[in-house]
Amino acid sequence: MIHFAVGDKKAYIKFLCLFIIPTLSIVSWEINTYAQQPKIGEYEVKAAFLYNFTKFVEWPTEATTDSSATFNLCVLGEDPFGKAFDSIQGEKIINKKLVINRFKELHDIEKCRILFISESEEERLTQILKSLKGLHILTVSDTEGFARQGVIINFYLEQNKVRFEINIDAARRSGLKISSKLLNLARIVYDLP
Amino acid sequence: MMKDKIKKIGRVSYLLLLTLLLTVMLAEASEPTDDLKPVLTNLSIEELMEIEVATVYGASKYEQKVTEAPSSVTIITSDDIKKYGYRTLADILRSVRGFYTTYDRNYHYIGVRGFSRPGDYNTRVLLLVNGVRINDNIYDQASIGTDFPLDVDLIDHVEIIRGSGSSLYGSNAFFGVINVITKSGRDIEGMEVSGEAGSFNTYKGRFSYGNQFQNGLEMVLSGSYYDSKGDDRLFFKDFDDPTTNNGIAEDLDYDRYKSLFGKFSFHDFTLQSAYIDRKKGVPTASFETVFNDSRFFTVDEHFYIDLKYEHNFAHDLSVMARLNYNYYDYHGDYPYDYADTGAPPYIVLNKDYSRGEWLGGELQISKKLFEKHKFIIGGEYRDNFKQEQKNSDEIQVYLNDKRDSNIWALYIQDEYKILNNLILNAGVRYDNYETFGSTTNPRLAFIYNPFEKTTFKLLYGTAFRAPNAYELYYNDGDISSKSNSDLKSETIKTYELVYEQVIGNNLRGTASAFYYKIDDLITLTTDPSDNLLVFENIDNVETKGVEFELEGKWEGLKGRISYTFQETKDKKTGEILTNSPRHLARLNLIAPIIKEKLFVGMEEQYTSKKKTLAGDFTDDYFITNLTLFSQNLLKNLEASATVYNLFDKKYGDPGSEEHLQDIIEQDGRSFRFKLTYKF
Repeated sequence: MIHFAVGDKKAYIKFLCLFIIPTLSIVSWEINTYAQQPKIGEYEVKAAFLYNFTKFVEWPTEATTDSSATFNLCVLGEDPFGKAFDSIQGEKIINKKLVINRFKELHDIEKCRILFISESEEERLTQILKSLKGLHILTVSDTEGFARQGVIINFYLEQNKVRFEINIDAARRSGLKISSKLLNLARIVYDLP
Repeated sequence: MMKDKIKKIGRVSYLLLLTLLLTVMLAEASEPTDDLKPVLTNLSIEELMEIEVATVYGASKYEQKVTEAPSSVTIITSDDIKKYGYRTLADILRSVRGFYTTYDRNYHYIGVRGFSRPGDYNTRVLLLVNGVRINDNIYDQASIGTDFPLDVDLIDHVEIIRGSGSSLYGSNAFFGVINVITKSGRDIEGMEVSGEAGSFNTYKGRFSYGNQFQNGLEMVLSGSYYDSKGDDRLFFKDFDDPTTNNGIAEDLDYDRYKSLFGKFSFHDFTLQSAYIDRKKGVPTASFETVFNDSRFFTVDEHFYIDLKYEHNFAHDLSVMARLNYNYYDYHGDYPYDYADTGAPPYIVLNKDYSRGEWLGGELQISKKLFEKHKFIIGGEYRDNFKQEQKNSDEIQVYLNDKRDSNIWALYIQDEYKILNNLILNAGVRYDNYETFGSTTNPRLAFIYNPFEKTTFKLLYGTAFRAPNAYELYYNDGDISSKSNSDLKSETIKTYELVYEQVIGNNLRGTASAFYYKIDDLITLTTDPSDNLLVFENIDNVETKGVEFELEGKWEGLKGRISYTFQETKDKKTGEILTNSPRHLARLNLIAPIIKEKLFVGMEEQYTSKKKTLAGDFTDDYFITNLTLFSQNLLKNLEASATVYNLFDKKYGDPGSEEHLQDIIEQDGRSFRFKLTYKF
């Protein structure tokens, strides 16, 4: 058994005031309020990032001046966002309404401005990226290694905070203009040799 | 009397203030919860990057999560360094659960798991800067005071990894590994000028430049200059005699350094280099030198240059290779009185000198296999091509010892995901020393997550520390010390059980119990037959203890509280070791006063009494540090003011064998002001 043997009584009281009381009050408060606390999910934050990216990426004029009234954000493969898209669906981007499209296969893909490639597509990523050649699509993913294989923006987590890396080579190929502000916040990567 | 009363009032109001702070904190945090959830689409990217997301399925795939690390880890960030007013690595380590430091007004010493042996220059902790070993090849010293090669302002974060790490790192990773990671060019982004002024005529200046360029080049360049006059009239009661200036050491506490750091990254290559030259006056008249002689000083110089290549290939294969050149240089002037008793003084300067140079190389390959295994295989080579120690005075040369040696090692580690919530981390390393032969050290860790927010870790490891050149060969011609080339390597077995629990959204609790057993511990002792200092293998020491920690993070507000109980005993005598406190408690709190602009950082540290060499005890003490930190009150300007030892607590650390002082008194209240401007 641990016998608490701080030098004298005064030290003991001080110890109690400084260490024990704050600890107990914080823990009890935290447990009490936990049930009411809203959680911010990883994909809600990632959805907000996707929305935000549109402010720092410039699509070539032919891509944005087309007649369609929607700005299409597409998800290819298993959709990890689900309800997390609710907060950005219908937002206005360059006078167009943001619409979420979910694809299992690669048809109609040319109407997408942003394409989120799910982890489920790992096996055929090279093939997917090949078929996107010449289209001005901002590809985004959140799977280790995807950026180096040619996806433009790839999310990762660092101490539970969402970070992203940008593949400069892939960005150049896509014909999109990515603002330096976004580049400064990103970890820069390159194509695999 | 009056002064005491004022002090008492000060303490009471401080306690009240703390309670108030806590209340405000709680009130603020328990506001209607709907308002707490921001409308995410209204936030900027920078703000989004600051949100901590609830850990879910897509958890970090890149860097190992702290909860998955096969050890008990604490991370201190650059934000902490700014807001707690940390000046040295010693300041940082002192704030961490289970760590304490002692200072003998020449060097700082780390205490961990109740260990801080007199005469030990931090040889049992491995110190790395961006993966480069800082422990030198003469003393194995991990420099954590003003002799640490890096200005703490350049630190991005410090990982403090407890327990034996010899299975990956080899010698010195005995009680733990401290890995210091520096800032990148993008963190500095432009020019930064920083100036600080503090008590005891202390001044520091720093100029840094950092940037990340479109072509992929990223660079940091920085230089610092530090000059402290120190306490110009230090009183030591052990020398309180008219023949020794009534115990007052005048102008002998000075401390000066200049340091440089550079780091360049281009694609897969990183070149980094650090240099420090530090001179310290020694006021303690250690090693039986003459008291209050202004010529007593030590100089430590450290330099390294390291080239690293790191590449991630397809199919989860990554390769890291590094090559570095290092040198460490030390010299000191030790004034001795050679006159016979009663005769007028005849003072001769004894010159102590050592120089070490070494080349290091490492190759590491990691690969994921069959989804469930992650292997790391590596090899390391160190060529200590210069290990020189000299000692002389105008009369004769006492020591001129020139050595060289090499070390090579191979290691392998596998992280095996047995189940989705159970990881086995197993590693083993083989080291071959030219000096004493080979040693093999395994490590085994089970990491188990029975529930989403609960982690258990069961850790076992062995580690070793080879006797270093200083311990083996140093003697000053039998003036005060002699050599012992029969020294063996010391070994340790460590067992630890860690329980980590996330409580609510914002709290993380850690409880750990440990048992360490050390054999053949190398300790500086005095040989009773000739009264000379000598290193010897002292048998069987064991330490056991428990630790509790609670960390919390809310918007703008964060803190941690920890308590350590430890008992470190010499098994033969059953007695607690010297300089080993039973109780340690740490409290750290950062609270915003004006959102994102003005913060208060507070530290409270309790250290219980420690046994001294004479068998006496130092008093236990509470130390309080308080920092006010502001950013962007004026654009691009950071300003901070810190009071260290706020209540001017008188306290001391045990002296070592080389000191006449049984207890060395530490600084009372002191101040520092700091301004940093970014261009």
